[in-house]
Amino acid sequence: MDRRKFLGVGLAAFAAMVVPGTDLKAMDFRATKPKAWEIEKTVDGIKALYGNGGLKKSDKLSFKAPKLAENGGSIPITIKSSLDLESVALFQDANPRCLSCVFSIPKDAIIQYDFRIKMRQTAVVTIVGKERGTGTLYTASKEIDVSIGGCGG
Amino acid sequence: MGKMKIKAKEKKGTVKVKAMFTSLMADKEEAIKKGIKASYIKYLVATVNDVVVYELTMSGFMSENPLVKFKFKGKKGDKIVFNTVDNEGKKQTGKKKIK
Repeated sequence: MDRRKFLGVGLAAFAAMVVPGTDLKAMDFRATKPKAWEIEKTVDGIKALYGNGGLKKSDKLSFKAPKLAENGGSIPITIKSSLDLESVALFQDANPRCLSCVFSIPKDAIIQYDFRIKMRQTAVVTIVGKERGTGTLYTASKEIDVSIGGCGG
Repeated sequence: MGKMKIKAKEKKGTVKVKAMFTSLMADKEEAIKKGIKASYIKYLVATVNDVVVYELTMSGFMSENPLVKFKFKGKKGDKIVFNTVDNEGKKQTGKKKIK
């Protein structure tokens, strides 16, 4: 009887662990990692968001961006990856705070995200992706020239 | 906050989505310069049949009226639901049928 109970409890606990992952899960990075949104430098920002993991360069994670952005107010960026990533974040050094956006990626998603960012001046843009399961961090970076400041400049 | 424009089209099992949200996306510094209140969307999530297909946390350094494009595996007739939360906690919902 005891063993049966034990099994039941275990099963319930397992179900409780699994269900939030498949259900409408709200992983708000602003709530879980509030510090990361206040940091100025990219290097520190990555540490605050993902911890002190080693960063790997990979061909499978890349992003498209114009070399010279005419308008710093809207720079089109496309993130592409064939890896099974858990989340992807974009950092830049141009603005007062480095973190621009964080995607949390559902399972079996096609990772091809288009969006536009603001940059105040010429700076290096870095994206960091965290692999599902292993937690390995992948990175890619590029310098973008901005001719006119975007942030009200 | 204003309107939300959503386009969703299915082709061979993948759904292409374009969505545009109206928001100034002004962070603290920019708001002070322009003499307005800081206002930006900080959290955005898209669901189909209560399953999350797209989730994004943003700061005010996305461009004004953010436009996002993405793809996911889905089928015709389903409804895609967008939920946004801005910096003051205001929530907004938008729905669209996948064509």
